[in-house]
Amino acid sequence: MKIVIAVVSAVLLAAVAIGYTKLNAGPKATADSVKVTGQQLMVLSNGRLSTVNRQDPGGPRDITDQRCDRAYASGGTIACLRPVGALKAGELAVLDANLKEQRTIPLTGFPNRARVSKSGRMVAWTLFVDGHSYAANGFSTSAGILDTKTGTLVRSLEELTPDQATDTNYWGVTFADDDNRFYATMSTGGHRFLIEGDFAARTTKQLFDNVECPSLSPNGKRIAYKAAVDGDPQKGWRLSVLDLDTKKVTATAETRSVDDQPAWLDDHTIAYGMQRSDGVNDVWAVPADGTGTPSVLVPEANSPAPL
Amino acid sequence: MLGRRVLLPTLAAAVLTATTITVIASNSQAAATTFTPTADTYVDNSATSTNFGTSGQLGVDNSPIKRTFLKFNVTNVSGTVTSAKLRLHTDDVAGSQSSNGGTFRTLTDTAWSETGVTWNNQPAIDGATISTLGSVARNAWYEVDVTSQVSANGTFSFGITSTSSDGADYDSRESGTTAPQLVITTGTTTTTTTPPPSGDPVLVGAGDISNSGSGDSATAALLDNIQGTVFTAGDNVYDSGTTTEFNTYYNPTWGRHKARTKPSPGNHDYNTSGASGYFNYFGSVAGANGYYSYDLGNWHIVSLNSNISMAAGSAQEQWLRQDLAASTKPCTAAYWHHPLYTSGANHAPSTSTRPLFQALYDFNADLVITGHNHQYERFAPMNPTGGLDTARGIRSFVAGMGGASHYSFGTIQPNSEARNSDTYGVLKFTLHSNSFDWQFVPEAGKSYSDSGTTNCH
Repeated sequence: MKIVIAVVSAVLLAAVAIGYTKLNAGPKATADSVKVTGQQLMVLSNGRLSTVNRQDPGGPRDITDQRCDRAYASGGTIACLRPVGALKAGELAVLDANLKEQRTIPLTGFPNRARVSKSGRMVAWTLFVDGHSYAANGFSTSAGILDTKTGTLVRSLEELTPDQATDTNYWGVTFADDDNRFYATMSTGGHRFLIEGDFAARTTKQLFDNVECPSLSPNGKRIAYKAAVDGDPQKGWRLSVLDLDTKKVTATAETRSVDDQPAWLDDHTIAYGMQRSDGVNDVWAVPADGTGTPSVLVPEANSPAPL
Repeated sequence: MLGRRVLLPTLAAAVLTATTITVIASNSQAAATTFTPTADTYVDNSATSTNFGTSGQLGVDNSPIKRTFLKFNVTNVSGTVTSAKLRLHTDDVAGSQSSNGGTFRTLTDTAWSETGVTWNNQPAIDGATISTLGSVARNAWYEVDVTSQVSANGTFSFGITSTSSDGADYDSRESGTTAPQLVITTGTTTTTTTPPPSGDPVLVGAGDISNSGSGDSATAALLDNIQGTVFTAGDNVYDSGTTTEFNTYYNPTWGRHKARTKPSPGNHDYNTSGASGYFNYFGSVAGANGYYSYDLGNWHIVSLNSNISMAAGSAQEQWLRQDLAASTKPCTAAYWHHPLYTSGANHAPSTSTRPLFQALYDFNADLVITGHNHQYERFAPMNPTGGLDTARGIRSFVAGMGGASHYSFGTIQPNSEARNSDTYGVLKFTLHSNSFDWQFVPEAGKSYSDSGTTNCH
């Protein structure tokens, strides 16, 4: 209840501040000219970089001209995987908080996942890549990492592990706070393993089976991910949380199949995209501890990132 | 002519829908259907990058400038539309009233999204003026006659602007019982006899069809009850295009209709070198190089091969231009595997197919069917660079729902008009002498549907 009152007050204040004088006593305001302020959540609104207020995520949203098929932001860095254009291949655009382009990297493939480390220094992406006939479902993925501080670019995590089997694929990178350690999924031989990597040492090690699209919690203790039902992606994925210390896996209350790399809103709440059958997405949120029920956080949006 | 304005002060807002339907239904000659918007929002030039799609209100004003956008999807209306009324309710809040209720016009653009429209990217309100409302009071219903704009099933967009600095505020679809309405009334007297079957040829099929799962069995069962020529939009079998896969997966299902099938090959068919499994299975009907043409009634049909060169000047592109030049049919359709237009999340648009689309456009073709992304998607008629082209554009479909799993959608592309990613099915075209009907026929137990008609040009 307090939150609701606070939001209404903010709306009224904003309206008054811009000199909107039509307001007087009434149960609600007339259609207003509110800019999104306060703590924000970045999302994509059908491919356009947008922000909503964390306290009113279903309310007005600011929509920019930046077009991304997948995006993430943290620490003043925005990673935007730009769409494949009619005359141009796709690319990773690294933007600052004011949407100023810092660097672009041409990429071949179809945008799938993006992530930025907490400090904003490390940027990772995953693309679908066509044309690898060995992949049973016709797909291959390519995941890379950019260190924006040093400029070190690993175009594909396969560079870190040159001796792997030819069916090895990587996807879904997430970073630890030290801007060096990272987690990702490595697929080979029909299994999808959680791996832990050391960027500076250029090494990776295999941790657990059946962990896809990991996302490290802000406190670094847990990994939210999608777990293939019965180990078979054809049966869909259960949004789950792995405690790195106890190795305990908790299935969240979201029982629908989730095909996304989740994002932590705080140490207790996970946000993720769910697609309707007509291709429109909604951002949902659910507690990380298996309690509660999922609910829509931002309608008609995907690719959430808390700012 | 002055706009028509009807104030309905005696109708209680909460029961308006029921009351309206009851009143109209008492007229024995007519039936009424009420639609609420599939999208509504407004834009504001004092917050040029802000979207208000989830707001409970719709503003029209000239200071700051606010414009309202409404979209309705009219479906399952049969018979002649005798009346179409757009109804809006002013908000129950001080300041919602105005001396100017706004000017109503139509929009060509029906692909805008409720949560994407801002002042900066608003669609053009490019239609003729329908009506202008004068004074509107707080908490009341108003009605605009849009009969001449809404004559059949389809998607309709309306825009409302105001020349007054005294703005009006209406309730949006989020407000519930006072949401905008489009009330369609149809006459029932003139359509008592169903026209006899036209006898026009049918082209029916899909792409991305047969694997070890059961989706291909479900879609083959649909074909059992649909006459006509069967097309395939590639990826006839998974994963490797082998003769064994054709014999094991395809032949017991879609193979029941092999004698009336005109196939095209996909990348999975080409996972066997030279697509030899595909060519051996279908034989000479598949064409020496995987492309060929035939006629059905008033239509010329071309099956193309998007797994070999399609470049301008290539053998296939040159053959296509010669083939189209030689055709005397007024309507033309083509199909192949890789889509030029798709919103799928797994395969990007295949721009290498553009020279084929260009040749078809140059020769005034009407219809293109593809697959590759495992889903259904329908686009408005477009030119070869993706622009909406209602004069000469080609309507295109992705019909990758033939049975081999489903994929997600990515960013929804411009001019995408219908999509589904959870239902297997076949796409049925009835090829009339100067138009075509399309119909998505869903697998048993599913209800997704999409149908319509487009004229040849």
